Amino acid sequence: MIPAKFEYVRPSSVGDAVSALAGGGEDAKVIAGGQSLLPLLRLRLAYPELLVDVGGLDELRGVSDGGDHLLIGARTTHYQVVHDPLIAEHCGLLAEAAATVADPAVRHRGTLGGSLAHGDPAGDLPAVVLALDATMIAAGPAGGREIPAAEFFVDYLTTALEPGEILTGIRVPKLGSDWGYRYEKFHRTAQAWAIVGVAALVRRSDGHVAEARVGLTNMGAVPIRAAAVEAAAAGAQASSQALREAAAGADEGTQPPADLHGAPDYRRHLARVLTGRALEAAAGV
Amino acid sequence: MELEHSFSVPVSVERAWDVLLDVERVAPCMPGATLDEVEGDNISGRIKVKVGPITMTYAGTAKFTERDQAARAITLEASGKETRGAGTAAASVHSRLLSEGGQTLVTVHTTLNVTGKPAQFGRGVMTEVGGRLIGIFADNLASMLAAEAPGAADVSDDEETSDGNVVALTDSTPDEALPIDVLNLSTRAWSSLRHDGIQTLGDLTRRTGQQLLAIDGVGPASLADIQAKLADRGLTLASAEAAGPGAPPAAPAGPDEVTQLPGASVADLNGAKQAAGKHAGAPLDQAAADGGEAGEDLAEVTPLRPARHESPAVQVPVQREPTAWQPPDNDAIDLLDVAGLPVLKRAVPAAAALVAVLLVIFGLRRRARRGSR
Repeated sequence: MIPAKFEYVRPSSVGDAVSALAGGGEDAKVIAGGQSLLPLLRLRLAYPELLVDVGGLDELRGVSDGGDHLLIGARTTHYQVVHDPLIAEHCGLLAEAAATVADPAVRHRGTLGGSLAHGDPAGDLPAVVLALDATMIAAGPAGGREIPAAEFFVDYLTTALEPGEILTGIRVPKLGSDWGYRYEKFHRTAQAWAIVGVAALVRRSDGHVAEARVGLTNMGAVPIRAAAVEAAAAGAQASSQALREAAAGADEGTQPPADLHGAPDYRRHLARVLTGRALEAAAGV
Repeated sequence: MELEHSFSVPVSVERAWDVLLDVERVAPCMPGATLDEVEGDNISGRIKVKVGPITMTYAGTAKFTERDQAARAITLEASGKETRGAGTAAASVHSRLLSEGGQTLVTVHTTLNVTGKPAQFGRGVMTEVGGRLIGIFADNLASMLAAEAPGAADVSDDEETSDGNVVALTDSTPDEALPIDVLNLSTRAWSSLRHDGIQTLGDLTRRTGQQLLAIDGVGPASLADIQAKLADRGLTLASAEAAGPGAPPAAPAGPDEVTQLPGASVADLNGAKQAAGKHAGAPLDQAAADGGEAGEDLAEVTPLRPARHESPAVQVPVQREPTAWQPPDNDAIDLLDVAGLPVLKRAVPAAAALVAVLLVIFGLRRRARRGSR
């Protein structure tokens, strides 16, 4: 289908983009890779009056080493995230999850920032940045600000970004070599959305789990941390049985959606099983 | 999809019955709804639903199919069609009113069915959104009824609606009893205010600009918008002095939801605010401009909210209740507009060939005629 009419601008600096966006008001929308927005436009589910294309902002692209953290530009594509050596070394979970996003064509055009700002509860990366305790960096008319991942996702397709703000990058704390990770995604076809996804990070010491972090995809309107699992896994023995027991509380506090792909109970079951698998893999047992 | 909601209001059953059947008063309680026409039991109107970048407008009709005053039962059947698509939404709403010692318990049972692109694309989101809309509607209705009750200021409504919101209570002037939905604020501002317990215009006017800015998700632009829209209704935000020591608490406080910092200095507050993950900025500048009172006011003003809130949220600005199907008022695709030049380009060779053939035929006929002479 053909999208409804809209104005289009392609600014050459973040400042220009912010002022263009602010000038467009509520009906202005940022477009980056367009892999989520274009289908919405073509299905005529969204009717923005102005699209601000950040495709010309090369400053928002790429990964840099910031000492104890990595700074990843919002326009970095999934493909770049998957193949970046810094990400592979310091937060491999992100690369592993990005590799499961849709198909190669989408990964070459879709961007990390776009995927996060879209805030789709079934998107893979929101739960991952949540587990990584990442920080979102936004530019707006009033200047820049930083938003912790835990406060960034507000509701279905809604984030803490103000209408005039652009997500410019994310800061991800580096993980030491004692951390293991795993992204478990359950879907019926290779390029489909996750019915349920689990991002797990485990730090081991002396055969025990010193710390565990678990983010859940598509178990509610926003990605959430499985706090019960994290508490149960901390200090537990790094054994299959102990980790599976800890994973039994994975669905606590979740409100999984019901749709054609599965009923809430089915998703709860998936969350428990996948969390167990993810923890085992992350702990290396 | 079946939904259950219930709420209780501090008015008699008779009173609640009258209000519930008064469509024009109930309509504004439905977020995003606009009434077009009310004719007896038939109602027509539109409802606009907004979820992130997705916007859908349904136009349709609703009809009271049951008004059993003896049993205190109302049934409303509503169905609508997307104005810009082929999707449909239908709802059957059964309400029962039960008297509970001076109060009225209203139960709402809704069967909701959404079809079409939004339903497919949304992977179930649409029905969920529908459910939340009805939840918000029930909340607003409860606020409205509660506000109208004589002596409402003293009556407290502790009934929780099914999505966990405690129905807010208001006193004072009619306008102040209206839900904040009537302002058509941006989705973010609206849901941020609600997260902070602000449900009615009255709740808004009891806050100062600084208090509002301290709410996550309310920026200077939203504040200006709120002020302008309140001014349209002859209302204003509380002034700094009025909101001073005697002001009502800033939010319905969960255990650590609101932290007051008596006597804290501006600098401390700044630090605290950042620690709480808020964007600092305008409030402090304004506070400084307010001079001597600034420190004190800020202490009153800054509710620190740890992390995120659980709560309602998907939102829906602008119009009202499902209703009469009208021809789509906007955008049929103008094909020539979209594809004018390419279409012309393709047509040119064909037209040229046709002209050439006609010329040849014409030439041949003339020759033939000459030859025959």
